[in-house]
Amino acid sequence: MSAHPALLLPAAKDLAAALPASTDVAVIGGGLAGCALAYYLARAGVDVVVVERGELNREASGTNAGSFHFQIAIHQLTGSDGDADAARLHEDVRLHADAADVWSGLEDELSADLGVHVTGGLMVAETDDELRTLIRKQRIERDAGLETELLTGRELRDFAPYLAGDLTGAVYCGREGHANPLLAAPAFAARAIEAGALIRTHAPVLDVEEASGPGGTRFRLRTGAGDITAGRVVNAAGAWAPEVAGLSGLSLPVYSDGLHVNVTEPRERILTPMVQHIGRRLTLKQAANGTFIIGGGWPARPERPPARYSVRWDSAAGNTAVAVRVVPALRDVRVMHMWTGVIAFTDDLLPVVGEYRGLPGYYLCLASTGFTLGPIIARTLAEHLAGRSGGRLPAGYAPDRVPALTRG
Amino acid sequence: MRGAAATGREQSCDLLVIGAGPAGLAAAATAAGHGLRTLVLDERPAPGGQVYKQPGPGFRILDPARIGRDYLRGTELARRARESGAELRAGTEVVALRGTDAVVVESGTSYPVNARRLLIAAGAHDRPVAFPGWTLPGVVTAGGAQALVKASRVVPGNRVAFAGSGPLALAFPAQLRHYGVNVVLVLESGPRPGPAALAGIARAAAGNGELLRDAAGYRWQLARYRVPLRYRRIIVAAEGDGRVEEIVHAAVDAAWRVVPGTQQRVAVDTICLGYGFVPADELLRLAGCAFGYDEDLGGTIVQRDDWTRTSVPGVLAAGDVAGVRGALSAADQGCLAGLRAAADLGALTETQAEQLARPVRARLARKERFRAALAPLYAVGPGIYELAAPATVICRCEEVTRAELDAAIASTGDVNVIKSYTRAGMGLCQGRNCRRQVAALVAASTGMSIADVPLPTPRPPARPVALAALADDSIRDEGLFIRD
Repeated sequence: MSAHPALLLPAAKDLAAALPASTDVAVIGGGLAGCALAYYLARAGVDVVVVERGELNREASGTNAGSFHFQIAIHQLTGSDGDADAARLHEDVRLHADAADVWSGLEDELSADLGVHVTGGLMVAETDDELRTLIRKQRIERDAGLETELLTGRELRDFAPYLAGDLTGAVYCGREGHANPLLAAPAFAARAIEAGALIRTHAPVLDVEEASGPGGTRFRLRTGAGDITAGRVVNAAGAWAPEVAGLSGLSLPVYSDGLHVNVTEPRERILTPMVQHIGRRLTLKQAANGTFIIGGGWPARPERPPARYSVRWDSAAGNTAVAVRVVPALRDVRVMHMWTGVIAFTDDLLPVVGEYRGLPGYYLCLASTGFTLGPIIARTLAEHLAGRSGGRLPAGYAPDRVPALTRG
Repeated sequence: MRGAAATGREQSCDLLVIGAGPAGLAAAATAAGHGLRTLVLDERPAPGGQVYKQPGPGFRILDPARIGRDYLRGTELARRARESGAELRAGTEVVALRGTDAVVVESGTSYPVNARRLLIAAGAHDRPVAFPGWTLPGVVTAGGAQALVKASRVVPGNRVAFAGSGPLALAFPAQLRHYGVNVVLVLESGPRPGPAALAGIARAAAGNGELLRDAAGYRWQLARYRVPLRYRRIIVAAEGDGRVEEIVHAAVDAAWRVVPGTQQRVAVDTICLGYGFVPADELLRLAGCAFGYDEDLGGTIVQRDDWTRTSVPGVLAAGDVAGVRGALSAADQGCLAGLRAAADLGALTETQAEQLARPVRARLARKERFRAALAPLYAVGPGIYELAAPATVICRCEEVTRAELDAAIASTGDVNVIKSYTRAGMGLCQGRNCRRQVAALVAASTGMSIADVPLPTPRPPARPVALAALADDSIRDEGLFIRD
């Protein structure tokens, strides 16, 4: 259990503060990336304002299941070419190992209970083919410095007796775990405000203009809560990043889908590690309060605004079928509710982080399916914006790698 | 809906009725009587709903005449529904809705029902009221106590205090006393009916004699048993070591706010609360129906036209789920819903439906006048939502205190965000017990009216459902976030 205060939230009056006329860095989007950026920038002494169109943490940042995914997942493997996967994923896996460090120190850093639990994680295989894929991916992880362990047969049975007896194998990563996605971004926001950041909710960005001046390009943001000029802009709008980019004439290939998650009634602990599947869509864990959270990438149905996504019953049925296949003891556990969230991703499923050279001063901070990576990419980008030497982001994350990112 | 396993059960019908209480049974009898293939689902083991509750399996009625008019009415309604050809499936739960289609859970498996018209007649549940000590063992709701006594013949407690309000609130303590419960104190938060109010009720009472006789009868029964009945008082706290041992009750003003210096203590081991009912509206919310607000009818109330149609095409609502008006009104509303479905599907012409509806509507109008005359006497005062202390648990499922809710409300006025910060309303009851209390706290903090506090986003399943009942191995993974 965390020794930190239960609920660290920004005050309503701070979130309704008037926008200043100008700032150094304007961040668009009050999700995990935006709130973490505000925190790390303010701590580095950089003048920062976050504008959020609604409430904080309401989209992908707050509707994912809070898992730390450090192992390579099925959707990251092309399946055809092991060497290409290795080259593409090498730096990515290494950054995930660094992300594990950030998460394990985050509750102390923010003095807040974020529900961080390092439980370890299992990625299971059901067939011999899947076991071969596990072996291949584990080699990439090992070469990149992420400690994982392959378990089969008796060893797996002893380590994880709750798994179905006929699974062919699993890879265990001791660093995986989860945090409470409902509390991480608000805690970042509260500490950011303490450090001098301004975070304004209910301030949709309506237009972004550029004006050249003596100090270079400046950006003028017209928002629902007034205008503000900024030396630099960070687009951290997640699934809505393409719309925000469009205000600056940028075409940004970021896509979004609706995601289905099931939560069960609380039960006595039977399961410590998170459980994933290398061949089927499953992420399963038992939270600290005893509920099982079951997801893994099953779709939700898009709805007309203002609704976002509704539950698809076939997703519930398919998702729970995989869950009881892998952990049979779940059969009689009752699903208490289902929620839907949004998930944003790119063509290569890697984040887009850094300055877009085609528009100097315009930055992107988008983690593709990225609760895990949100804090570390925000911290690294903040170090860069503050002019400090810090961690390096993988070259594969650079906005300029995205061929379809164009202006005009 | 795809994803619910096939079980060989009837998978389609003309009219699907959810709830076999007075509204649902009357609708089924009407619709099936006009030839509609009608399916009635109820989560209880026997039809009848809460008021016309029938004894559970294992209980046999030896002398129907002695068991009460409600039982006989329930039997009669269920018989009519069955004889009309409607199919009744007891012990079934509806867990999800889309349009007029439902996912049904029965005996550990789930199956879809595709219906051309859907009637939601899910009834009401006790209005939850939080005060210091309300989560102690020994605190029961009137509905809960009634269910215990009627269906299981179990009597709660040795010394029982009843607190509540409403024209028929006194029915509960009178009934409990009748079954041998030692009721030591009855508190009615409404005023002692004065001559002017009684005159108003009498004027509106034409055709409602039965209701008036009932109300008078309950008061007379309490007097006969020498149960102290006190008006304009509520329970403000329950105390005890591990269970209720004592209550604090106090006088309240017209807004149900405590009058300082009027607190009194009484030793009891059971508290029975009957502050009226609120609609069990979760299926209406899942269906996406539009809502309005009427405190006297139970708070957030589904919008309907005079044919019981909601804002969602094909979805009807009747009985207490659409505003708490009681069993007699519910049966008439159910009748209207049955006629509407029959006309919609061509079993009746519009003219025939109108003709058949006319006397039903006249009866409903009479009852509505009576209810409107009584409502001001028993209007729920906002003070009832202001009793919780900082350490009082508001959300029982997730054990969230008022202090924690206050902390979240200091950050945002958005009910969904408050829910996400505190988990209040995320537990097994899906917010049925804390929703109103949270809304009242938001209203008090933001200065907005409780009527304007939005409802939190509804989440399926409407009832908890076992993974095994849900799981379907034939569903194909479509490959989310992989683009072609």
